[in-house]
Amino acid sequence: MQEWDDRDIIEGSRIQGREELAFNQLLAKYQERLYWHIRKIVIDHDDADDVLQNTMIKVWRSLADFRSESGLYTWLYRIATNEALSFLKQKKKKAFAPWVDVEAQMSENLEADPWFNGDDIQLKLQQAILKLPEKQRIVFNMKYFDQMKYEDMSEVLGTSVGALKASYHHAVKKIESMLDED
Amino acid sequence: MKMDRKKPDLQHEALKKSPFQVPEGYFESFAERLQQRMKEEESSSVPVRRIGTTTRWLAMAAAVLAAALITTSIIRLSTTNGSEGIYPDLAILEQMQVLEDDRYLMEFLEEESVELDENEAFASQAIEYLAMNDVEMDLIFE
Repeated sequence: MQEWDDRDIIEGSRIQGREELAFNQLLAKYQERLYWHIRKIVIDHDDADDVLQNTMIKVWRSLADFRSESGLYTWLYRIATNEALSFLKQKKKKAFAPWVDVEAQMSENLEADPWFNGDDIQLKLQQAILKLPEKQRIVFNMKYFDQMKYEDMSEVLGTSVGALKASYHHAVKKIESMLDED
Repeated sequence: MKMDRKKPDLQHEALKKSPFQVPEGYFESFAERLQQRMKEEESSSVPVRRIGTTTRWLAMAAAVLAAALITTSIIRLSTTNGSEGIYPDLAILEQMQVLEDDRYLMEFLEEESVELDENEAFASQAIEYLAMNDVEMDLIFE
C-alpha cells in the first residue's frame, strides 16, 4: 500500500475539495499505529475502537488548522493519548463504587478476552504493566513495544527526556520484580 | 533462542510482540464506519425553527439561568479537579513552588537515580519527575 508523505497530507487538507482525500490518506497511514497505541492503554478492543474513532473525528475537525511546529506523527499520538486517558477517566467515574479498581478489572478481563492471544508469560507481563501508575504505563508501552525515541515521546507527552528515561527505568525495575514474584 | 518460561526476560524479543488481535477486516472497514458515524452525528443535530415572542423571552430566561448554573459548575470543577490535560497533577505540583535548592528533594531524586540536565532548572525537572511517577506528595513535602 502506498504511504503518503506527511507534508502532502497537510497541504491537501488546506485545499478546498481535497480535504477528504487528505484525511483518507492520513487514515491509511496512521490508523493502525494509533489503534495499537490506544489498545495498549485501554486494553479492550471495543474501547480501543471507540477511542480511535473519537481521535480521528478530532483530527478531521482540526487538521486544516494544524501548524507544522510539531510533526504530524507526534501531534496524532498526542491526541490519541489524551483521548485514551480521558476515556479511562470517564470509565473510572462511571464505576459503581469509588473503590472499584478499573485497572484491576481490565487485568481480570484480559484472561477471557477473545482478542487477546498471548501466552501465560505475555498475560503476566500485561497484568504487571497494568499495575504501574497510568503515565508510567504509557511510557513503558511506547518505549518497550513501539521502540519510540525519547525525543518523540517527549513531544507527545510534553515531558523532558530525563524524566522519561527515569520513568522507563523505574517501570522496568518494577515489572521485573513483579514477574520474579510469581 | 528459547525463553525460560519460569523466569521471563524482558529483553527477549518474543515478549516484545503484541499479544493483542483485532477482528478480521477491522482496519479495512474502519474508514467506512468512521464516515458513517460522522454522517449520523451531523444529521442528528437539532433542526432550527422559528419561535414566538413569549417563547423567546422564556428561552432567554432559561439561557441566563443555564449560564449561571454552568458557570458555578465550572468554578466548582476547576477548584476541585485542577486543570485538564495529560498530566492534571502537573498543574498542582507547579503551584507548590519547589525551590531550586530544595535539599530534601535533591536527595530524593539522587536516591531514585534521576539523571538531571544541567541546562534545565532543577525545580521543573523535579516537578516533572514527581508527576510522571505518581510520587506520593506526603513523602516529599512533609
